[in-house]
Amino acid sequence: MLTYLSRRLLAILPLLFGITLISFFVIHLAPGRPAVVDQTLNPKISLEVKERLVKLYGLDKPLHIQYLNWLARLARFDFGRSFTDDRLVRDKIIERVPLTLAINILSLVFIFALAIPIGVRSSLRPSGVFDKGMTFLVFFGFAVPTFWLALLCMNLFGIQLGWLPISGIKSLDFEYFGFWQRCLDVCRHLVLPVAVSSIGGLAAITRYMRSSMGEALQQPYIYAARAKGLPRRQVVYKHALRNALLPIVTILGLSIPGLLGGSVIFETIFSLPGVGRLFYEAVMMRDYNLIMAEVVLVAVLTMLGNLIADIAYAYVDPRIRYEKT
Amino acid sequence: MKKNNALAIGITIIAFFGLVAIFAGMCAPYEPSAIDQNNLLMPPSLHHPLGTDSLGRDLLSRMIYGARISLAVGIIAVGIATLLGVFLGCVAGFYGGMIDAFIMRLVDIILCFPTLFLILAVVAILEPSIFNIMVIIGLTGWMGTARLVRSEILSLKEREFVQAARAIGASNARIILRHLLPHAMGPVLVSATLGIGSAILLESGLSFLGLGVQPPVPSWGNILIEAKSTLGIAWWITVFPGLAILVTILGFNLISEGLKKEIG
Amino acid sequence: MGHLIEVNDLRVSFGATPAVDGISFQIRENEVLVLAGESGSGKTVTALALTRILPASARIVSGSVTFRGQDLLALKEEGLAQTRGRDIAYIFQEPASFLNPVFTIGSQIMEAIILHQARTKQDARKEALALLGLVQIKEPERVFASYPHQLSGGMNQRVFTAMSLACRPKLLIADEPTTALDVTVESQIVKLLMDLKKTLGFSMLFITHNLALAKKIADRVCVMYRGKIVEEAGMPALFARPQHFHTKELIAAYEKIGKL
Repeated sequence: MLTYLSRRLLAILPLLFGITLISFFVIHLAPGRPAVVDQTLNPKISLEVKERLVKLYGLDKPLHIQYLNWLARLARFDFGRSFTDDRLVRDKIIERVPLTLAINILSLVFIFALAIPIGVRSSLRPSGVFDKGMTFLVFFGFAVPTFWLALLCMNLFGIQLGWLPISGIKSLDFEYFGFWQRCLDVCRHLVLPVAVSSIGGLAAITRYMRSSMGEALQQPYIYAARAKGLPRRQVVYKHALRNALLPIVTILGLSIPGLLGGSVIFETIFSLPGVGRLFYEAVMMRDYNLIMAEVVLVAVLTMLGNLIADIAYAYVDPRIRYEKT
Repeated sequence: MKKNNALAIGITIIAFFGLVAIFAGMCAPYEPSAIDQNNLLMPPSLHHPLGTDSLGRDLLSRMIYGARISLAVGIIAVGIATLLGVFLGCVAGFYGGMIDAFIMRLVDIILCFPTLFLILAVVAILEPSIFNIMVIIGLTGWMGTARLVRSEILSLKEREFVQAARAIGASNARIILRHLLPHAMGPVLVSATLGIGSAILLESGLSFLGLGVQPPVPSWGNILIEAKSTLGIAWWITVFPGLAILVTILGFNLISEGLKKEIG
Repeated sequence: MGHLIEVNDLRVSFGATPAVDGISFQIRENEVLVLAGESGSGKTVTALALTRILPASARIVSGSVTFRGQDLLALKEEGLAQTRGRDIAYIFQEPASFLNPVFTIGSQIMEAIILHQARTKQDARKEALALLGLVQIKEPERVFASYPHQLSGGMNQRVFTAMSLACRPKLLIADEPTTALDVTVESQIVKLLMDLKKTLGFSMLFITHNLALAKKIADRVCVMYRGKIVEEAGMPALFARPQHFHTKELIAAYEKIGKL
């Protein structure tokens, strides 16, 4: 376990280096000079801003020095100021994090709460009616453009039926609500975004769970568990499920980039003030400091997510936790 | 041969959309950008089978031309991704050592970036255009193929027929192209068809955000931009383009599934 | 002496393909019956069919398995589950893969004890450690806390045997229990099984393709070939006057190995 841990931790160093290098490369992608000071692409940037940028990025210095300086600032979480309102990029991002985090965690909970039982049920009777129905839905879930599904749901539940709000995180008269009313209001605003943003993950994890459970059910230890005289319930939900669930932690880590990427679309459609919407606005405004900060941030987050998932996997799987003695 | 419904249905769907896209000029009842002030936001009718948008343009015609863009972006983007993935996967698998370690580390690094963030960052700098979108989607989508090809090559490299080819003095390029790659092509094809679906999905998402294919050139994604402002007023603008995207992706996914079965 | 178990005209098929094609045999109390035959002859399927733990794709077409006067194949699943492990227990070919990788040895043995004997946890723990001692494991405490992947093949087979004997079954079905092990470990395990049989007193259905092994332990041998029992004989008789050509093949194979 210790050697495994240290090996994994060591492996993040080149990853971190690569992430920052690619991000840096992206800023310098524009032909000729770094895009950040290219006036033809950025008519919004005033001369004063331009001078500050030249200083900030040390654009008069050689490239590798620029990179090192930028790294040094990153290490202090200094991402510079936003072009649009001159606020610190760090502050702008931090105030948006809780909402995005909340939505993604809710989505994950929703995904796993549904996908695991559905996958298990499908695997118990492969090619049964339930399994066939679910296979069809999963196939559909993979193909449906979720932003379109969002539009349809907004139309149906928001406009036609009037059941749910379709935009923002609170109602206009939020200030006059009592505590519970406020909670309910926020929840109602979150229903559609969470449900719709879960579709892709739901399809993927259901399919994954079905196959991993199906595989576990055919393992020799399942015969042994039955031979012991264990009732079917225990064979399935203890012996098979425990094994089938192990890799799910890894999948959890792998699903982070998809969810973060999805936030850009969902937060934009549902007008939710999260990190994804902030990024969208930054892209529209060509707010490079903000763009770079977010790109590095989500990449590092993804990397850490994968790292944590790997460690968690090593912890739950005794075959890695206790290396052979 | 066993009957392969998935493949048959998938091919039918894609052939249909493909033909429509190729012969767009003959299929479309109107010019896709012909504005008609007298027919704004008309629901589907005999004159406009799928209705019109807020400028009075015929939705069906726009979607037919949009098919061209969406399919082209999907196919070319995946073409770029597949070429790149196959090349890097071959190099990594065949040469091993430092080159392999470097390429695989690169794969790990790029996989850390949520695709949409990376693409949007590049778009912010390079300006969205059809060409840029294809290239960027291609450049951010090769990692899976590279891993796939690499592992295939690794498992084939030590087989007798490769050793034999080496013994008779075949060049590395010849060994890779003649003896290794053909065996890896099946899985690559499966993942490429699946990839076209994802690329179309990505393009439509980008265009929907206003950061992909730019109006007035129609793509299924950017037709849907108007769906948001006409929500509850003009259902046809929401329903039809989305349905086209859904069915096309379904088609590619079915082909991929069918091919997987075919390869076994 | 009466029959402990009586199998009559058992037929099992996978889809349309018969795997076990109408076989009958009996095992007496304290007897060791060896079921011999090449791989694919239907031995394992027979073993699994006795308590209906076959894979989902297999179907029992007909036949009866009478165990102490009760037809097991006619029992409901819940009733049969009580017989499994308590009266009829199994050990399998590859102990490492038949033990669940994510549970400790101790918890897997305790599970078997608690399931059939309604005992407290401490009690079950004590019993599990005693069982590990019974199968001659030197450090029961350490093994108890280990996971299967931390132990050797021979060790895992001892553990599995301990688990199977937890409820003192009347019949132990051993499906090629030593095939995956080294020759030296094989003889240790076989000796262990025969010693345990003597002390605990159970009957054994021992499945193997190795007639050398059969010669050492069998009271009687049934030779299986393509889903049928083609020859049944007492021990010295089988080697002295083999009737079926497959028996001769198996004997020839054994003699060839003997000469090496």
